Amino acid sequence: MDWVADFWIPLIKAVVVVLVLLLGGAYMTWGERKICARFQVRYGPNRAGPFGILQPLADAVKAIFKEEIVPNHVDKIIYVMAPGISFAAVLITFAVIPFGPEVDLFGQRVGLWVGDIEVGLLFLLAIAALGSYGIVLGGWSSNNKYSLLGALRAAAQMISYELILGISLLAVVLLAGSLNLREIVDFQGTWPLLVLQPLGFLIFLIAILAESNRSPFDLPETENELVSGFMTEYGGIKFALYFIAEYTAMVVNSAIVVTIFLGGWKWPALISDLHPLAGVGLFLAKVLFVLFLYVWIRASIPRVRFDKFMRFSWKFMLPLAFVNLLATAAVVAFL
Amino acid sequence: MAIDLGAVEAQLSTAFPGAVVEREGDWLVLDRDRLPSIATYLRDEMGFDFLTHVSASDYADHLDVVYNVYSTRPELQGPGLSFKVRVPDRVDARVPTVTTIWKSANFQEREVWDMFGIHFDGHPDLRRILLWEGFEGHPLRKDWHEPYYEEDNKPFGSRWPYPENPRPRSAEQRVHWRANVQYPQGFDPEDWDLGADYPPLFAPKVEINGIDTEPVYLNVGPHHPSTHGVFRMVVGLQGETVTNLTPVVGHLHRNHEKIGERNLWNGNIPYTDRLDYISPMYNEFAYVVAVERMLGKEVPERAEYLRVIMGELARVVNHLLTIGFQFNELGAMMTPMIYAFTEREHVLDLFEEASGARMMHNYYRIGGVYGDVSDEWLARCRKVVSRLDRKIDEFETLLTDNEIFISRSRGVGAMSWQEMVNYGVTGPVLRSAGLSYDIRRVEPYSIYESFDFEVPTYETGDVYDRYRQRIAEARQSIKILKQALNRIPATGAIMDGKNAWNVKVPDGELYSRVEHPKGELGFYLVSDGGTNPYRYHVRSECLINLAALEAMSVGHLLADAIVILGSIDITLGEVDR
Repeated sequence: MDWVADFWIPLIKAVVVVLVLLLGGAYMTWGERKICARFQVRYGPNRAGPFGILQPLADAVKAIFKEEIVPNHVDKIIYVMAPGISFAAVLITFAVIPFGPEVDLFGQRVGLWVGDIEVGLLFLLAIAALGSYGIVLGGWSSNNKYSLLGALRAAAQMISYELILGISLLAVVLLAGSLNLREIVDFQGTWPLLVLQPLGFLIFLIAILAESNRSPFDLPETENELVSGFMTEYGGIKFALYFIAEYTAMVVNSAIVVTIFLGGWKWPALISDLHPLAGVGLFLAKVLFVLFLYVWIRASIPRVRFDKFMRFSWKFMLPLAFVNLLATAAVVAFL
Repeated sequence: MAIDLGAVEAQLSTAFPGAVVEREGDWLVLDRDRLPSIATYLRDEMGFDFLTHVSASDYADHLDVVYNVYSTRPELQGPGLSFKVRVPDRVDARVPTVTTIWKSANFQEREVWDMFGIHFDGHPDLRRILLWEGFEGHPLRKDWHEPYYEEDNKPFGSRWPYPENPRPRSAEQRVHWRANVQYPQGFDPEDWDLGADYPPLFAPKVEINGIDTEPVYLNVGPHHPSTHGVFRMVVGLQGETVTNLTPVVGHLHRNHEKIGERNLWNGNIPYTDRLDYISPMYNEFAYVVAVERMLGKEVPERAEYLRVIMGELARVVNHLLTIGFQFNELGAMMTPMIYAFTEREHVLDLFEEASGARMMHNYYRIGGVYGDVSDEWLARCRKVVSRLDRKIDEFETLLTDNEIFISRSRGVGAMSWQEMVNYGVTGPVLRSAGLSYDIRRVEPYSIYESFDFEVPTYETGDVYDRYRQRIAEARQSIKILKQALNRIPATGAIMDGKNAWNVKVPDGELYSRVEHPKGELGFYLVSDGGTNPYRYHVRSECLINLAALEAMSVGHLLADAIVILGSIDITLGEVDR
């Protein structure tokens, strides 16, 4: 067994990815507060460090040192486990996403991804769906009506949007001819799939907004109706776990959007001239852009009502996704 | 301008011989036992379909229940009829209810029962409304003495019912201000029972589709992000559809009216600020107008203009804030709300310069206003008004055509104006349903008669129309402001005579109402000629508008109920008083 290639490199890659993701999730909270503040003509966090840059750390410290409260009426094991499930699922999802090409680093040939598996897309969908268990179980075990309603909404929302997500991705698979995310990125060498699949991209973007419980589809936690939805009964570090899971999920989901539709680390015309590591920077820039999109949407429009949202999902989005799939299939088959 | 009381009296006496027991100033004293049939006659035959105010007053040997009815018929709009019934028996005080005739009496009769212990026979739901269920006594009766504050001997005694057990048992009991909570005799929180008068708000069992089941009851509030304070509503849910909704108020109750009776007439002006703390200027406006009407006092012209300017600025700000809150409840992540607050800051700067305070202004005075403003102030005010004009356009650009907003607000909480009138709903909510009823027009006060403005109306009274109504009314306020700023006299007195530190108001009683940004804000004042009010009652439009909340919400989703609550626009400081 080659220890360096088979053990140390994957381990280091995994640790780096997890750390970057955690930091990204934490700084997403800061970024969102800052960007929202600018949308709303105010400053946002600006006390902890320059530009409030230390705010996420201060928040984390506060959450860790809070009293661990487990209410009497909850199902204790599941209650404690649920935030962990959400969080773990998000971290695992990123494993299959390539964030750069294969490069020479410190004399080693290193692929800039954690796992390169043939059914990457399937893995992605499967693990992402696991994340919703964290929400549903958390809401259920809290034994609180607000939490329960939030969990019910989460369950319904997941089922409907996983489906749309899957169907919109099928069209991509038809075009790229592979489930491997690295190959899907390679397929986008000339043009990002956004150009070939504009409708699929829109459907995917909406579905992924719903998938990550983001405004305007943040129905499981709707502050204004359900107090905090599924996480009403959570406090301290458990709440922080949910919170950071949500923001890390945003980062991961943006990475998925970038990988599948925006060409990953590639840029059509420039790719041959760039240093391979510049691809990582390009990837990051694209992720940041999608994240900005998330915040932009949140700061701009009100929330959709739950029943209208479900109607929208089943009666409009799903047929649209099917039409997109059939059209793509026809093009692939006959052209 | 007043109603022809003689004609009303004659007509009533023909229909019901002996119905009018007595005529007392501007008030008719009606026969207590025949009240329901007289009330029905008043509503159906004489057109007084709009009961806006029910209250009571204690005169040592008898209690009076007072009613103020108005008409929504175009030819009869204007001053209404004030009548009262006399309750001679203080121990077993009973009056037939008029809730079946005017639903707006529901909450107000409950309040009278709460405060005066007058039992309304036939009332569907006669529970205490503002005080807690175990409260002993009825605090606005003159023979009731508030423990702690109105005790004869000092130091004050404790109200904890177990003097033999003074040793604190827990941290809650160790605090000294528990002495200011009154408990009934034999009270033990462990096994205290509300009794048959208070059936639980949660129906234990229901049958749905032949299955015995328990409905889901959601306790929204008093600690909830979207109940505008400490408002609580018990919502019965079927899925997420509201099947019934019971508003529970009184968490912020501080017995405003009792304290008002202890204050001097002047001293109540800053106290009215605490009612609707979103637009304190207009609360003061309502109060000083009421007192001036009792005094027959004239206000100098410049002061009148300043009053209107302050009041209308408050209205614009209130409407913008309401829209902002509304969108917050719709989940727009605070953006419109903060835009609204930005505009409020500019107006508050003006208020601060004129009155010295940003929120509790204490600016109006009986017979004038507190301080004059400089020409610079007026110039800045003109700038702010034109800015507000622009910003309302921006609000419209941002919000009016928003697809999600329209889909969430169209048809939500719709109610016909006839029904709203029956529920006693006033203000923008009523006008958005199509009835053009603005007290600034139908019963003008101050100098509103001299301004050129319209009373906008919309058709359906749903949440979307309420939003458009508020925008339209803010525009009309801007129109008034522009006229007022052009026409305000360059110099002149701002007080009628000297600023009196103490006012004596002649004997009498009166109900005076103004068009507050949220609806009809009325003050029912009784004076015995002294330096403080004998009776001081606030007709809170927020509380009475809430009466229609259940009817508006049932059948909609929980999310809609929250939005409807927001569109009614309540401030808990005024609901609970």
